[in-house]
Amino acid sequence: MGDDLIRRPSGSARQSLGPGYPAESVILEQDFDFGSLYSLRAAVAAHGAAAGLAGPRLYDVVTSAHELAANAVRHGAGRGRLRLWILDGVLHCEVSDDGRDRAADADQSAPWKQVHGHGLWVVSQVADQFTIDRSDAATTATAVFTLGAAAGPDAPDVAGDLAWPGRQPAPALPRARSGRAARISFRAARCPG
Amino acid sequence: MTVETNAQITELTVDDHACLTFGEQEELFDLTAAFVRDGLAAGLKVVWLSDAGPGQAVGELAQRGVEVEPAISTGQMVAAGYENRLLSGQAFQADTAVRWLTGQLHSARDEGFPGLRVAVDMSWALRPVTGIEQLPKFEEGIAAVLDGTTASVLCQYDRERFDPVTLASVAGFHTRAVAAATYYADPMLRICCQYAPAGLRIAGEIDYQAADHLALALAETVRLDSDITINMAPLAFIDAHCMMLIADAARAIAASRLVVLRCPPEITAGFARLGLDRVEGVRLVRADG
Repeated sequence: MGDDLIRRPSGSARQSLGPGYPAESVILEQDFDFGSLYSLRAAVAAHGAAAGLAGPRLYDVVTSAHELAANAVRHGAGRGRLRLWILDGVLHCEVSDDGRDRAADADQSAPWKQVHGHGLWVVSQVADQFTIDRSDAATTATAVFTLGAAAGPDAPDVAGDLAWPGRQPAPALPRARSGRAARISFRAARCPG
Repeated sequence: MTVETNAQITELTVDDHACLTFGEQEELFDLTAAFVRDGLAAGLKVVWLSDAGPGQAVGELAQRGVEVEPAISTGQMVAAGYENRLLSGQAFQADTAVRWLTGQLHSARDEGFPGLRVAVDMSWALRPVTGIEQLPKFEEGIAAVLDGTTASVLCQYDRERFDPVTLASVAGFHTRAVAAATYYADPMLRICCQYAPAGLRIAGEIDYQAADHLALALAETVRLDSDITINMAPLAFIDAHCMMLIADAARAIAASRLVVLRCPPEITAGFARLGLDRVEGVRLVRADG
């Protein structure tokens, strides 16, 4: 699906899965599974550094890549693909897997990530923007980082904020209806409490 | 002579001739700090021979909660280099080195100390030094000198740099083999006991795939009856899952004791994000560089 997305950013059904971007903006594209998370982190760190990131900001990007990939490995298809791409001074870290959510399948009544949502909460805290698109065919999570910013944003926009330190259940991600994509967005916010 | 393997640094007795193997400087300084701390606490004279000059030695020990300046000023503690003790320029002679140790034993007794502890970093033997073939003879001489005394010697060998043949040739002269208790080690991750200050040390990169090992290490660490330090200064990456395990352990420990989380700035920020900077009994300490 990725190639379609890159070649046809304004294509039909795939368009709703994420923003289009030119192929030349991709700086890293790498498949992963449970045995390659370390090398994935190393690759993201190397390419993030080459893009001008350093220190805590680079660490945040690596953390986001890991948490999204680990989420796909543990609760999604068990494997997936990561893409880093830069457009207009903004780094996008996109993780997609083409499997259904195994955890959600196991217990339809449980809000997704009720137990395992901490990794996604961390991403929502350190990224400037964080979106998850789900359809029957795929889950694509994208964390966005503005290059040149010293640290994550401190905009107190808590809309869609994933709760954590108080251990409240994280919100259930909307289940996709047949043939339609569902999207949930998070804006980065300060740690509550 | 019986060689006990995997003894803890805190278990050494008065006449032990122990062989400590370490994998990195941080581990060496940790184990040495515990050896020095326990020796000074027992009123023994303590001598530490190493490449570290007195200034660095004092600094490394202080960083680990062992304040040795008062002991140095009273002569209870000596931190020194090898020259005129084990080495004469680039030459090593086992007889001379054993004579130096015997002299230390006598002077400690004359100064009124009930015993002596000597830690010797053996990294000098990796240099181009003549007489290095006498190393086993030196170790044999130490064993003979210590017999029936109240002196113990801790020979410190870098297991990454000394070849296995050399380590094997000197091992038999020691009464104990000492190493940091290790919960888990692979090329990417090492979780081991920390002795000074007491707690746990995590180095490398850790994610949920090592969570069981981390959980076991934390469960054992929580049982220590002292304040606890979880040293993550050498940790390059920790994922959200493992961070939560440590945060939960820290909150549990903090109910009764002080817990110090020492980590690089970006990991400190992660724990602060979880609110640990506002938990009474938890101290977040940034380990810069």
